[in-house]
Amino acid sequence: MEHYCVRDLMIPISEYASVRVGTSLLEAIKALEKAQEAYTISKYQHRAILVLNENDQVVGKIGQLRILKAIETRYDLDSETAELKRFNFSDEYIANRRDQHRLLGPIIKEDALKNAAGKKVEEFMQKPTAGEFVSEECSLDKAIHKLVAGPHLSLLVTRDDEIIGILRIADVFAAVYHEMKLYGLGTES
Amino acid sequence: MDTIEHYQGYDMKELDKLYNRIVQQVNINLRELEFDVRPYVENLIELEQMNKFYAFYGITPDHPLDLVFRHSGLAGSYFLGKCSVVNSLLYKSDIRGDELKRKGTSFTYQDFAIPLTSDEVIEIEDSALVKTLVHNYSHDPETPEKFFIKATLSMPYANIHGSPIDGCFLGPFATVDLTTTHDSVIGKYSYIQAGEVNHLRIASGTIWVNSPGNFNFYYRYEPELLNRYVNITRGSEPGGMIIDFIEARQDAFQRIFDFVNLEAIEAVPASASLDRYAVILPKTTIAENVLVSQRAYLENSSLGKGANAQENCFIINSNLAGFNVTAHGAKLIEADLEEDVFVGFNSFVQGTPESRISIGKGSIVMPHTIIDVTEPLDIPEGHLVWGLIRDKHELQENSVALSVLEQKNSFFTQGRLHFEGSGAKFVKAFKDRIHHILEVNGAYFDADSNNAGHAQRNQKLSLNTIQPFQFGEMEGMYPDIVIRL
Repeated sequence: MEHYCVRDLMIPISEYASVRVGTSLLEAIKALEKAQEAYTISKYQHRAILVLNENDQVVGKIGQLRILKAIETRYDLDSETAELKRFNFSDEYIANRRDQHRLLGPIIKEDALKNAAGKKVEEFMQKPTAGEFVSEECSLDKAIHKLVAGPHLSLLVTRDDEIIGILRIADVFAAVYHEMKLYGLGTES
Repeated sequence: MDTIEHYQGYDMKELDKLYNRIVQQVNINLRELEFDVRPYVENLIELEQMNKFYAFYGITPDHPLDLVFRHSGLAGSYFLGKCSVVNSLLYKSDIRGDELKRKGTSFTYQDFAIPLTSDEVIEIEDSALVKTLVHNYSHDPETPEKFFIKATLSMPYANIHGSPIDGCFLGPFATVDLTTTHDSVIGKYSYIQAGEVNHLRIASGTIWVNSPGNFNFYYRYEPELLNRYVNITRGSEPGGMIIDFIEARQDAFQRIFDFVNLEAIEAVPASASLDRYAVILPKTTIAENVLVSQRAYLENSSLGKGANAQENCFIINSNLAGFNVTAHGAKLIEADLEEDVFVGFNSFVQGTPESRISIGKGSIVMPHTIIDVTEPLDIPEGHLVWGLIRDKHELQENSVALSVLEQKNSFFTQGRLHFEGSGAKFVKAFKDRIHHILEVNGAYFDADSNNAGHAQRNQKLSLNTIQPFQFGEMEGMYPDIVIRL
């Protein structure tokens, strides 16, 4: 798996959908939709957008799950339920509490969606963690290890202290399949 | 890192250096939780006051005497039994070693019978304890002979009860009970009884009683409502209604600490014990086998046979029918308790002359419960109550009949309470413990039986005082002292 390095597969920051700190959730969704329409080189679409600060540094990432969590306000209201795991309550009890909260009413209603649309991206973005960075010089082997160990759906690619791109799991997956074919695997039939 | 010297702006003496060192040690232990204790300690101890108060210790034929003080400040603190205090600051704290385990006995933990090869010792090191109670014995099977308190900072009215503790911060009125606690933050007015706790940051007003595999009880106060009763802000001393209540009665304690010999209070039965450092105001009556501990405050109340008032209790205009446990720091105002009522640690039960609170026979007021009413409130017999109760509606939400709880065998949610496990085991554990407390306190004492407890043994206790340096670099510190039989 030494044929590729991270630089070969990453998407440069400039080609990736991004928004500024302070952007609303609604504007972030629009940015993601627009990026997906425009990006046609790969058959895999953008599944996340980056959040940049005023110095164009990446300070966070927003995926579709993060957006849904921001809309599912009852999840936040019931934050104590998530806490209960730390206090030795069983998965069964916590699942029961979540079911009870789900019964409180539908998510898709006008007032809830309006409230969610106005949220700022920094309120619900995922901040990068230490294991989420990979150097552009790294081999694909190391990148795969980081994706699996995280686990992460993408890694932030660095050159010195600067983030210059995104390495997506979909592109790594495609590269792995390509390598398999080079070894003659999957072509016997 | 800022130092206490910067906060207080006067010359750095040994006391300051020691305090800085302790704060640093605690912060190092709590770095993973990203918790900084400094905002809470700026005005916590008035270091210039540390030379104003003597420390004192008990001498009794019933407990081994072995006290070691090294490089420490001990202002206004009390010691009994075997204790070692090294590189620490204790301010008006009670270190009660009268329940420590003895050499030659055996400590039972689960299926292990652990023989003790030496007397148990309370070891306090690199810690600052403010108006804190330390009592009971180590329940940690890994250290049965050491009840350690290391690199820990506790705020006023915290209780460290049967809980070895290392690298922790305890907010005001926080209690760790029968729980070995490492590198954790226990928020204000939280009560934790969970066996062992590591690297946990526990929010204020959390009441957690967990016996893995048996039961799990969890309640958390609404933060804004709790703040009315106990609050703490950066750079300020703790405040709130409970603090105000205590401070309004501090003058009564001044007299008993100012005099070396006070007149004995009349009409106390021979089997009862009133501590010399308790405040007893008219018209209070004391029945047989009653135990009143130091820093307790009784006013116009009656304590029936076998009742007790432990450290930092306040009992005002109240009647206790008998065999009542009023645990460390509990407060009863305008209340009538039938027999066998248990009121847990730091509970605040406040009625008014027009709105008295009655608590029925055998009921259990959970530790850290606040009952604050402006209309009469009747708690039926045999009930468990918890959390914040200000009227009948909240009583309904925050109580359950013990007989009903005993039938629960999976889980239930009631108001802000989460419960999982066996209700029967929970009730049995509490009842067994209440019986044990009454037993060791001497509530069941009978002259014909060999069952004397603290109430009877404390009568054979006398007190000595020790003094700090009054001048120079060591002002407020105590000389290194070893006191042993």
